Amino acid sequence: MTNILIQAVLLGGYYALIACGLAFMFQVMRVINLAHGSLAVVSAYAVWSLSDSFDMSPFIALLAVVPVMGVAGWLLQRLVLERAVRGGELLPVLSTFGLAIVLDNLLFQQFGADTRSLSPFVGDLSWEAFELPGGIYVGKLPVYILIAVIVIIGGLDLLLKRTALGRQIRATATDPDTAGLVGVDARRAAGIAAALATMTVAVSGAALGLRGTFDAYAGAPQLLFAFEATIIGGARSLWGVLAGAIVLAVAQSVGAQIHPQGFLLGGHVAFLIVLFIRLALKGKAPLRLAKIARLTRKGAAQ
Amino acid sequence: MSILRVTDLDVRYGQFRAVRDVSFNVEQGEILAIVGANGAGKTTLLRALAGANPVKAGTVHLSGTDITHMPSHLRVASGLALVPEGRKLFLDMTVEENLKLGRTVGRMGDWTVERIFETFPNLVKRRHAATGTMSGGEQQATAIGRALMSNPDVLILDEVSLGLSPLVVDQVYASLEGLMTTGTTIILVEQDLSRAMAVADRVVCMLEGHVVLDSPMGATTREAITAAYFGTAPQGEHA
Repeated sequence: MTNILIQAVLLGGYYALIACGLAFMFQVMRVINLAHGSLAVVSAYAVWSLSDSFDMSPFIALLAVVPVMGVAGWLLQRLVLERAVRGGELLPVLSTFGLAIVLDNLLFQQFGADTRSLSPFVGDLSWEAFELPGGIYVGKLPVYILIAVIVIIGGLDLLLKRTALGRQIRATATDPDTAGLVGVDARRAAGIAAALATMTVAVSGAALGLRGTFDAYAGAPQLLFAFEATIIGGARSLWGVLAGAIVLAVAQSVGAQIHPQGFLLGGHVAFLIVLFIRLALKGKAPLRLAKIARLTRKGAAQ
Repeated sequence: MSILRVTDLDVRYGQFRAVRDVSFNVEQGEILAIVGANGAGKTTLLRALAGANPVKAGTVHLSGTDITHMPSHLRVASGLALVPEGRKLFLDMTVEENLKLGRTVGRMGDWTVERIFETFPNLVKRRHAATGTMSGGEQQATAIGRALMSNPDVLILDEVSLGLSPLVVDQVYASLEGLMTTGTTIILVEQDLSRAMAVADRVVCMLEGHVVLDSPMGATTREAITAAYFGTAPQGEHA
């Protein structure tokens, strides 16, 4: 049991890595980016292409991909999200959904149906493990991923709470109008926030490729896990997202213990339970549903 | 040369002309009071000056530079700061964080976080409190402090006494007094006519989006302002 829990926590580290960019985007820009998983897969292919063409370590390739994805995030904000947000709450969801479809199919066109992996480029790291007391083995890679997500969340948290840029991003998130009135360039702050989010996506894409295989349509499950982790943890704090990701992974592992096919189901059940508890605690479930229904009608009307 | 020159300004919400053909000048160091009934277009005018509402027609010049279509953060950088109606603090941030935000544009000047705390001593013990938990007076002081942190040449105050008790309003104005003697140009919207007449050098009265009175405070009377306020005076009676 201890072994299962430790492995689940490590898996949770990976989920947190994909989720933190999604949660950061939602937290500071009120945008649910449905292209999040696809952007992770784009990053995975970018790292793979560099490694494959130049026989380069994926870690070095990632150093090049991170800034490129940062620029992509900035462009995403400027060209898509900034306009979509003006059209109401539903429009960013729809436009990023569309973007995800475009990205997935472009990848499929370019790379075909073969699955790819980054593990051939890292030698023994794919299967090397640390031995813990009690004869438990934990893979080195999952441990590194967990460390990476703690560093990233800690860094983003410090940035938001302690720096002038963080204050500007928070001010823009709360009230872009007033942020402008106190001298904050709200467009710049939003662009930087989006760039930071997609830079974490680049890291999660590399992690995806290192942990296993991926193909052009691998984005959707990544998005789903990220979304579930964010909801379970509550989008308020990034540390909460880490906790949510671990809860998701533990639920999946417990589900897999109960039934061989219970892995995904366990996660979904945990997600739904937390979701309904949250709605019930707020006592606003009917209200929320009414709002969603109204938004849907509005979307249909447009 | 006037530090702020507003010419034929027209601001609309859709079809509705909230501000119509408004022109006035503000001299360096002057304190201008803008009065008018609710819905006369005062707040819309101030927000347009600060860049928060788009201008349909007309121009705004700050120290000779055309800022009519400049985004709001660049106006702050050029020395124009608005204390918005309803204070609009970032409520999940502390007083100190709100003040530091005001420093974003990095204009040179005398205002520091410490000096704001000297000017508004009631904020000192609230330094690390989330502004959402504070009283109206403390919030207003923070909002003014945040605008001052950008070291503005022109400070615009929109209804700083709204929702405050008379005692707290006295405190807010007492702390503004020092500022008013330092030569900062101030534009303020104030519902309390007596107070506006006491502090301002000049008064502009608005009615249904128009300027119906523009006069040095000494050259007009309470009766004339009241008549303009309610639209009972013949229009275009500019002094």
